[in-house]
Amino acid sequence: MSAAPIKTLKELRAADADQFGGKSASLGELLGAGIPVPPGFALPAAAFTEFIAGAGLAPAIAEHLATAGDGVDGLQAAARRIGEAIHATDAPAHLASAVTTEYAQLAGDDSPVAVRSSALGEDSAEATFAGQQETILWVRGADHVLESIRACWASLYSTEAISYRRRLEGSEPAMGVTVQRMVDASVSGVMFTCNPLSGDRSMVAINAAWGLGLAVVGGEVTPDDLLVSKVTGEVIRETIADKRVQYVPAAGGHGTECVAVDAERRQQRCLDAAAVSRLIELARRVESHFGSPQDVEWAIDGDGELFVLQSRPVTGLPKRTSAPRPASAMALVMGTFGARQSKKD
Amino acid sequence: MASTPPDEDLTFPNPYSVPTPEGCEGWEEMYPYYAVFDERRREADENRFWFWNSMHFPTPHPAFDVICIDSPYQAVGAWQNRVFAVPPAMGIDYRAVNGYIYISANPVTDPAKIAERAEFFQARAGHYFANWGELYPKWRAKMEALIAELDALVVPDLPEYEPDEVAFGTDRNTAFYEVLDAYPRLLRLGDLMWQHHFEFLLLGYGAYATFAELCKAELPDIPDQHIAQMVAGIDVLLFRPDAELRRLAALAIETEVDGAFVEGRTPAEIDAALAESEAGRAWLAELEKIKDPWFNMATGDGLTHYYRSWLDDPSIPYASLVGHVAALRAGAPAERPTDEIERERDRLADGYGALLSDEVRGPWNDLLALSRIVFPYVEEHKFYCDYWFLTRWWNKVREFGALFAHHRFLQDGEDIFQLSRHEVASALDELVLTWATGGQALGPIHWPPIAARRKELLEKLSHWTPPPALGVVPEAINDPMTIMLWGVTTDRVREWARQQTGGSELNGAAASPGIVEGPARVVRSLAELAEVREGEILVCGSTSPAWAPIFNKIKATVTDVGGVMSHAAIVAREYGLPAVVGTGRATSEIRTGQAIRVDGSTGVVTLLRDER
Repeated sequence: MSAAPIKTLKELRAADADQFGGKSASLGELLGAGIPVPPGFALPAAAFTEFIAGAGLAPAIAEHLATAGDGVDGLQAAARRIGEAIHATDAPAHLASAVTTEYAQLAGDDSPVAVRSSALGEDSAEATFAGQQETILWVRGADHVLESIRACWASLYSTEAISYRRRLEGSEPAMGVTVQRMVDASVSGVMFTCNPLSGDRSMVAINAAWGLGLAVVGGEVTPDDLLVSKVTGEVIRETIADKRVQYVPAAGGHGTECVAVDAERRQQRCLDAAAVSRLIELARRVESHFGSPQDVEWAIDGDGELFVLQSRPVTGLPKRTSAPRPASAMALVMGTFGARQSKKD
Repeated sequence: MASTPPDEDLTFPNPYSVPTPEGCEGWEEMYPYYAVFDERRREADENRFWFWNSMHFPTPHPAFDVICIDSPYQAVGAWQNRVFAVPPAMGIDYRAVNGYIYISANPVTDPAKIAERAEFFQARAGHYFANWGELYPKWRAKMEALIAELDALVVPDLPEYEPDEVAFGTDRNTAFYEVLDAYPRLLRLGDLMWQHHFEFLLLGYGAYATFAELCKAELPDIPDQHIAQMVAGIDVLLFRPDAELRRLAALAIETEVDGAFVEGRTPAEIDAALAESEAGRAWLAELEKIKDPWFNMATGDGLTHYYRSWLDDPSIPYASLVGHVAALRAGAPAERPTDEIERERDRLADGYGALLSDEVRGPWNDLLALSRIVFPYVEEHKFYCDYWFLTRWWNKVREFGALFAHHRFLQDGEDIFQLSRHEVASALDELVLTWATGGQALGPIHWPPIAARRKELLEKLSHWTPPPALGVVPEAINDPMTIMLWGVTTDRVREWARQQTGGSELNGAAASPGIVEGPARVVRSLAELAEVREGEILVCGSTSPAWAPIFNKIKATVTDVGGVMSHAAIVAREYGLPAVVGTGRATSEIRTGQAIRVDGSTGVVTLLRDER
């Protein structure tokens, strides 16, 4: 039996990040706070370790890595071979059956789900850099889910991930996987619960485009760009973009495809006033739950239902350049008139 | 501070090389010797930064009205430089160029001097801030007494025979003395008003500006209007006149006399219609009751005699009544929703306060409280000084004009404003002299052609477009008043300099959010205000809260001068109209009828196409 069982997302909390990775844990946190997140289940990192150990893949992987050298060609070849090995190996039977059971409960026979890697470690920006952000959308059927889980695992040995880990000392790679019911998004995007450019915490910065969120996250489309007051909900600035493409479920029923947006919708604002105000309300709740500015991936489905797909802390906010702050209001007023507070005060 | 990028070899026109418009040669005669760019001061003056104060002096300035430049700058300098000793800033100099008034602040640059002044400033300004609540009511009492004194000032006439009281009494003066006494007293009352005007103003603006600055340092994207909303009074005196009109409009509907308020009727026609019925006469009696003081609003903000009060020219309040009646019939609320405004104000303050770090929240709350204490003054001084006192004061000057006209020293009493205040004193000397002696006065031959020539000059000069600034582009604008009151900042000045060649975009301060497109209506004088049509975008030097009634008609407003605390901005926010203020040259770049887009959220005005 597996030592680390699969759990549903709603069972997880922030503290589970060590075992299940940051993404699964934070989705569990959000569900616990009553924030709308598509339901799902999570594989712990131990499942990966067990998979490697059970199949005896460790020596082969070590061999590929040892002979890869430092050149790009060598790294790419190693990544490809390790990936092939992972894809060619079946998951342990008990894990496969657990995934199949969870999938059936979540999605019935073949409703679509999203399978995403859930990296270990606090800094998800680092994980992005290390190439550990595999996302496979619109996956249908338990077999395809298992295949996608292996794809996530294989991303641990992407060229970027191998190269990144070379600069770190002896960390054994592992990651969790998140499986979530798919939101058939008509509009989706990203929002920061602050203005990431100015650091203003009274603002919410929203990027939005038609269809699934891939195009926005991947930078394939210039999204509508809105700056909205968190205090009043007013749109302070907005730029409506020419949104040329969108991702939709692929015609074959599996995966997604990138298609052109109809001419009349391209320059249409993709969020109406009601959607903006619901996003702001959501931004307030998510931020207040985590207690710090958040970077939130969201989607609105065909019925107008709003979901959070991911939330992580905003890092790298601009540092305030202000001089040491005078202690009192009066000292500030004096400063306006060019009178520095003297020693008397 | 970043150094100036090399491509910015920016400069404004040299004040000594500004061409005189054709036929306007000799315009300098309207102004004092010290008020022009004089060769003897050239080295200093051409190396300074001067900007056109179109907020206060939007049109070529009449000779008499120079007193409304001298006196306020005497007063503001006295308080800022000699009383409070604001450390880096003395007072403001002005110069006339082709009849338009340019100003420049005098900085204090010596660090030792700045430190010395800081000692004064902290003690004296600190006293005012600490005792504001006690000092301000006393100020109000002082102003009310001053206005009463002005009302009591009698401009005597010069009778054929002095009355018996002069002959038989022992305490009556002859008219020659009374006239010569009344005129300088009138001038001195004006000076006193200006002194009072600036007593609290710097400090009031300063407290508010500090709060605004702290908000922006902590929350860089906070809209200016949210800062203003957190501070603004619930019961703003300046909105009272319009609120009273709204109340009277409701009364008219209630007593079923609203049929008199027909668009296009003159005030006299409306009065005549009302006078026909008992209820109408009762309504007129109600109107009479609010006129003192609420009809002491001026028709504009400029410091010239052109701006009359509602008492003198009721067309604005009557237009407003017509508008209110129509709006009420259409279901608009009769009263300003003060509960809602109060709730919104608290919601904003709580919402923003909660986002601040603990160490900032304390000073922030204190500054908000201080700003709310000083804000009534910032708003109300305008009603007491600029409107109530000043419109009545100009009318007293008109009484002297009437005296001149009666004795044929002038063709028309209004022509008194074409003479400088010193020329008026001189003309009065001759008038009472020849009245007394019975000799032949030269005045009736001497003054009318002078007045005629100057009226012609002002008319010609009104077609000239003053550049927003002259002289050098300063490295930085540090003068607190220049920044706070005129919205003239380092960035704004650079923008002006870059835009000298024109372009299809103008940048200003985002003063009231929203984006609209529409035809522009450029208004450069009060007389042009009547030409504003429904749905136009008002483009002007600066606007006044007294123009509120036309805000019902327009879609947006753009000004040359003004910051987000300017009254154009406040009124625009009150009416929910997009506004961009402080563009520097909107009135010269934009033509009436031209399609423009105003983005009050970003402060950009786009000239769409030219339909000249």
